[in-house]
Amino acid sequence: MLNCRALKSATLILLLAATAGGCTSMGVEPWERDVLAKEEMQLTTDPVEAGIDDHIYFSKEASSGGRGFGGGGCGCN
Amino acid sequence: MDVFRVRNSVPALAASLMLIASSMAISSSRAAESSLNLDDYRGQVVLLDFWASWCVPCRRSFPWMNRMQEKYSAQGLVIIGVNMDANPGDAEAFLREYPAQFTIVADPGGDLARHFDVEAMPSSYIIGRDGAVVATHMGFQVKKSDEYEEKIRQVLSPGED
Amino acid sequence: MKTKPDCMSKQNSRSIAASLATAACSLLGSSAVSPVQAQEEPGWDFNTALLYYGESDDRVQDISLNVLARRTFVDDRILTLGLVADSLTGATPSGALPFDGPQTYTRPSGKATYTTAANEIPLDDSFLDTRVALTAGWQQPFARLYSVNAGVSASKEYDYVHLGANVGLARDFNKRNTTLSLGLAYAQDSLEPEGGAPLPLSAMLDVGDLSNRIGDQDKDVTDLVLGLTQVVSRDLLFQFNYSLSQSSGYLNDPYKFLSLVDPVTGDPVSRTPPPDESGPLHEYRFESRPDERTKHSIYGQAKYYMSGKVLDLSYRYMTDDWEIDSHTLEARYRLPFGDRRYLEPHVRWYTQTAADFYRISLVDGAPPLEFASSDYRLGEFDAITVGMKYGWKTRSENEMSVRLEYYMQDGSAPPDQIIGNQAGRELYPDLDAIIAQFSYRF
Repeated sequence: MLNCRALKSATLILLLAATAGGCTSMGVEPWERDVLAKEEMQLTTDPVEAGIDDHIYFSKEASSGGRGFGGGGCGCN
Repeated sequence: MDVFRVRNSVPALAASLMLIASSMAISSSRAAESSLNLDDYRGQVVLLDFWASWCVPCRRSFPWMNRMQEKYSAQGLVIIGVNMDANPGDAEAFLREYPAQFTIVADPGGDLARHFDVEAMPSSYIIGRDGAVVATHMGFQVKKSDEYEEKIRQVLSPGED
Repeated sequence: MKTKPDCMSKQNSRSIAASLATAACSLLGSSAVSPVQAQEEPGWDFNTALLYYGESDDRVQDISLNVLARRTFVDDRILTLGLVADSLTGATPSGALPFDGPQTYTRPSGKATYTTAANEIPLDDSFLDTRVALTAGWQQPFARLYSVNAGVSASKEYDYVHLGANVGLARDFNKRNTTLSLGLAYAQDSLEPEGGAPLPLSAMLDVGDLSNRIGDQDKDVTDLVLGLTQVVSRDLLFQFNYSLSQSSGYLNDPYKFLSLVDPVTGDPVSRTPPPDESGPLHEYRFESRPDERTKHSIYGQAKYYMSGKVLDLSYRYMTDDWEIDSHTLEARYRLPFGDRRYLEPHVRWYTQTAADFYRISLVDGAPPLEFASSDYRLGEFDAITVGMKYGWKTRSENEMSVRLEYYMQDGSAPPDQIIGNQAGRELYPDLDAIIAQFSYRF
């Protein structure tokens, strides 16, 4: 059972990697990131609120987390 | 650094920039150039800087570029800020807060940026007196501003030091 | 880097032991590791929030103050300091089943008893605790396309201490349209339950009898997250993450127990304390969970800009070796009004399956089980959150917002576990809660 899950997870990681490879043609030019630079377009717009919600749901449910970090934004420097 | 021959291709871009630049009214800095023909700057050293109102490092690069323009204009340095905003109002708002003592042109369509293969915001290109690109820099970091200044000095007066 | 304050829950009698009992704290999965924000001006930035969380029926109520201070230094180096102070009161289901008569239990301290009414889900109401959590993090660019971050976290409450550290690395590709990230976190938590942790599956004893206690306990949690962020177009951003979380050690909730019931009637088995002693009047057994848990999650999020409005959609699938599977689907829609105000409705839908050792009660005379827990948070339920947030910019260009949400859980006991008289009773404690938050960023 655990092996089955491990296999599923490994497949998922490979899919992620493959997607990364296939993503070379997707995206915008560096000067077209005006919308992505907006605060409301960040992946986590309010870290304190996200932390509060994560804490509430972690306390009341059996799952937690999921969010990551990095990417999006103005892509400057 | 690759030497990129700008000489022949830029005049063709001048026409497209003309229409765009004239629609931008810049109040507190020098008026937008109505066209950008880099051939006009032959004999001078051009620092071409691609910027946008939403680019935070640009807020730090502007005061530095103002100082550079003032310090080296006598030696033939011309700084040109190429604005990439799709909405000229955003650029104007930025310039009210961070006035530019150097020339501003607009390239909302990205033609000039594509021509220079801009890969980061901001990006700057130092174009020598012969019209060839001698240095490229991606991003702007305050701690490297002395390095950038040194490079400008070298291009302005090669063979000295 | 913004590290999330200790993500241990607060909800059982006088402790966050409940958090031990539930899923291992995923420091990474939560906003423990700061998202790399759009570059900011050097200076201080404060994000504060006051939260009220209140469940119906005299259950848990929590008020907390959250502060996140961010100091951006020149060239995008960022120091983040966080503080959370929480005050919890209220009652929480102890794990026993209701029945037609009152039930008396010994308190976790072993010093007194308490009694619950007939036909109501038994709640342990001895619950008042304060928690303080601190975090500190550092983030900076490294070479042109890399970003590194590291942080520490610590929290303390009456019977629980948490210590953790995390590191992360992100690298941009394709003119910064693609970002790959890797994060690792490690936490060491120790629990000092009142009276000492009880031996799993041992009986609840009389007042003053601590012979089944096994003292202080600890656990450790390791988390890994792999992420991919992709700019799809000028208006659309995606993120995909895979997370792995491994907990080991004492994963029980030392205050939760199960009723031992008659195999025919389903009623709790009676017990008579010795003369001159007081104690439980029925048989109860403390819960027992495995000492390891491995969780896998995949998470996807999309942010889509539509002429000023932003739609944020996310989905998470979690599966673990306790046989719990869950799905979470969340949507937020930000509607701006002019430049200075916005409304943001929010909906979250959640469902989970029960752990394979989830039992509503233990059956007297049945073959002994290795693991059993009646903690409703390991059972099968659906949950929904609906809420609205209203935000505005003050005259001094600072931001304030208020949000009000309603969270509801609706679960059920596995039909094959229901015996005799249990059929007519409320076997699964549903939950109704209000979440109210006021936030000020300056």
